[in-house]
Amino acid sequence: MLFRYGLPLLAFASMMFALRHVVIADQEPPKQPPPVEPSRTPFKSALAGGGVIEPKSENIAIGSHLPGVVAEVFANVNDEVEAGQKLFRLDNRQLLAELEVRQAMLESSRSSLEKLRSQPRPEEIPITEATVQEARVMVEDTKAQFARAERGHSSGAVSEEEYVRQKYAVATANAKLTKAEAELRLLRSGAWKSDLSVAEAQVKQAQAQVLQTETELKRLEVTAPVKGRVLQKNVRPGEYVGIPPGQALMVIGDVSTLHVRMDVDENDISRFKKDLVGKAITRGANKREVSLKFVRVEPYVVAKKSLTGSGTERVDTRVLNVIYAIETKDPNLYVGQQVDVYLDAAK
Amino acid sequence: MVWIALKMLTGDRTKYMGIVFGVAFASMLISHQVSIFLSIMARCTSLIRNVQEGEIFVMDPTVRQADEVIGLSDDDLHRVRGVDGVAWAVKFYRGTVRARLPEGGPKGHGDFRSVVLLGLDDASLVGAPRKMLMGSVEDLRKPDAVIIDEAGYFYLFPGQPHQIGQTIEMTDRRAEIVGICEVGQPFQSMPIFYTKYSRAMQFSPPERRLLSYIIVEPESGVPAPVVAQRIMNDTGLQALTKETFRWNTIQFYVQNTGIPFNFGITVVLGFVVGIAIAGQTFYLFTIENLKQFGALKAMGTSNLRIVGMILVQALVVGLIGYGLGVGGTALFFTLTQGAIPLKGFHMLWQVMAGTAAAVSIIVVLASLLSIRKVLVLEPAVVFR
Repeated sequence: MLFRYGLPLLAFASMMFALRHVVIADQEPPKQPPPVEPSRTPFKSALAGGGVIEPKSENIAIGSHLPGVVAEVFANVNDEVEAGQKLFRLDNRQLLAELEVRQAMLESSRSSLEKLRSQPRPEEIPITEATVQEARVMVEDTKAQFARAERGHSSGAVSEEEYVRQKYAVATANAKLTKAEAELRLLRSGAWKSDLSVAEAQVKQAQAQVLQTETELKRLEVTAPVKGRVLQKNVRPGEYVGIPPGQALMVIGDVSTLHVRMDVDENDISRFKKDLVGKAITRGANKREVSLKFVRVEPYVVAKKSLTGSGTERVDTRVLNVIYAIETKDPNLYVGQQVDVYLDAAK
Repeated sequence: MVWIALKMLTGDRTKYMGIVFGVAFASMLISHQVSIFLSIMARCTSLIRNVQEGEIFVMDPTVRQADEVIGLSDDDLHRVRGVDGVAWAVKFYRGTVRARLPEGGPKGHGDFRSVVLLGLDDASLVGAPRKMLMGSVEDLRKPDAVIIDEAGYFYLFPGQPHQIGQTIEMTDRRAEIVGICEVGQPFQSMPIFYTKYSRAMQFSPPERRLLSYIIVEPESGVPAPVVAQRIMNDTGLQALTKETFRWNTIQFYVQNTGIPFNFGITVVLGFVVGIAIAGQTFYLFTIENLKQFGALKAMGTSNLRIVGMILVQALVVGLIGYGLGVGGTALFFTLTQGAIPLKGFHMLWQVMAGTAAAVSIIVVLASLLSIRKVLVLEPAVVFR
C-alpha cells in the first residue's frame, strides 16, 4: 500500500516543490525609478551640453606684477570692489629705503644746480675789482718810471739796460691789467651755460629715478581692474607670491548677471543656431530649472578637458563654447557650478 | 484495463523502481545541468540585470559584451541627451581595478584582489544596488566611500562577520567600505565595488576616455528599441536595449567559450542515459510481460487497448520519474543557496518544461519499441 501510493505521492510532492522553487527563485529584479531623478530633457528635441556658471565679466584671476611676500590684504571674499580699489599689498620696505636714497640724490643735484645759478658769489667781485685796480696802479707806476727813464736815456744819465727794463715793465703791467680785467669779466658773467645744462639734466634724472621707485612701490599694491565681487581669495599675509603665480591669487567677477558657458560638442555644431531657446538644470536632488538668453558664441572651438580631478587633465574632444545669460536671479546658483544645458532644437 | 496495466507495472518492484529511477536520473541530469548552464550565462549579464533603472545601454560601437568595454567621450553623454525621445541619460562606469587590503591581512601583508569597479552618476546614483545588507546607498556621498557586494566581502574578508568602516586601497587611493549590498554576481567571481562616478575616475587607472556606458530612459510612450535606433542614427554610438544587450553578451560567451559545448554534452548524455536506462528497462519489462499481453489478446482485447495500457504505464513512470528528478534539482539549488559560489543559481520554468518534453520523448521512444513487439505478437504464444 505504502509503496503503491507512496512513490507517486512522493513524486507529486517533489514536483510541487520544484514548481515552488521555480516560482520563487526565478524572479527578475523589477525596474526601479532612479534613487535621485536625473535631469530630464525639457524639450522634445534638444541640443544638450554641459555648462559652467560664470560671472558676466568671466572669472578675472588677479595676478601680481612682482614676486614677493604678501604684507597686507585689504579685500575679503564676497566684498564688492570698485575698479582701482586696493586688494592686497606686497612687502615694500626695500623700495621705501631705495626711495629715500633717490630722493636724497634728487635733493643733492638740485642744490648743485642752484649753486651754479647763484654764481657769481658777490663777495668775490670786490676782491677781483681790487686786483684790477692794483694792476691799473701798477701800469701808471711803470709808465711814470719809463717816462723818467726815457728822459734820462736821451741825456745819457740812464743806461741802455735800465731803459729797456723800464720799457718792458710797462708792457708787463699792461698785460697784468688785461688779465685782471678778464678775470673780473669772467667772474661777473657767472656760471657757464653748458655747466648749467648738465646740472639741469642731472636734476631731471634724479627726478625720474624717484618716480621710478614710486611706480615700483605702486606696483606692489594690486588693485581691482573692474567693479565686481571677490569670488575667491587665495592670498594671505606672509605668503610668497611667485612669478607666474601658481594659482589665481584672487578671483573677481561681475556677478550682476550670471552667464552659463555651454559646451557644444563638435559633432553637434551643425545643429546649433543662435536663436535657440535654452534651459539650464542644476544637478542633484532639488533641481532648479532656469531659462537662458543667448549672449554670444566664442568663435574659437576649444579642446574640452574631461574633468576627472586628476593632476593631468585629459583632452577629450573639441567643443564650441556658447555663452548664455541666466534671466532670473537665483541665490542658489553659484559661480563655477556645473549645470546641464538643453537647447530647444525642434525649431 | 488501466488497473491491470498498473498492477502489471508495480508487480515487479525492482523493475518498477529501475524504470522510475532511470527516468528520474535522466530528468535530474538534464534539468540540473541546463539550469547551471543558464545560471552561469545569467551571471555573464549580471552587470545589465543589476542596473534596475533605465532601459537602454549606450556604448562604443565596437563593444561586444557587457564586461569588455572601451571608453566614450564625456561629451557623448550630452549628445545622447539631445536625441529625440530620451527622457534622461546618465553616466555609468565599469572597470577592473586592484583592491589592496590594509597590512596585517590573513597572509600577514596587504592581500589584494581584482575587483569590478562600478561608478554611478554622482547626482542620480542610477545603477545603485537596491538590496542593502548594511549601510545605505546615500552613504556613497561620503568621502572615499565604496559599497561592496556580499560575495565580494566574502572573498576579501573570508570568515569575518559583516562590518563596515574597513579601509582598502585602490590605485594608491584610500577607499572606505560604507555598505554591503546583495546583487547578482559577475561571471568571474570578482568582488563588486560601487562608488560615485567622479570617484571611480580617481580609482581607475589613467586612460584618456573612461565613460563606459550611458544608461538611457526613453520617454514614456516611446518604445525602447525605437529610441535605441534613433540614438544609433544620431550619434553613431551603439545603443542596445537591456534585452538585446543581454542576448548579445550571452551569444558572445556561447560563441567564444567552451561552456555551452561542455554543458550541451552533459545534457545529451543525460538524455542518452535516460533513454538507455528507462528505455531498456521498459522494453525488457514489456518483453517479460509478453505472456500476459498474449493472454489478454487471446481473450479478445484489441491492439488499441493494449497500446493504451502500455502508454498508461509509460505515462505513470514518466510522471513519477520526472517529479522526482526536477524535485531533486530544486532541492539541490535550495540547499546550495547559502553557498556564495552558487548564489543566485536556480532552475527556470522553461527548464522544467523542457525537461518535461525531454522525458516525454524518452518514455514515448521507450514505449514505441515495446509496442511494436506487442502488436506483432501472436496470441498463441500464451499456449506454448
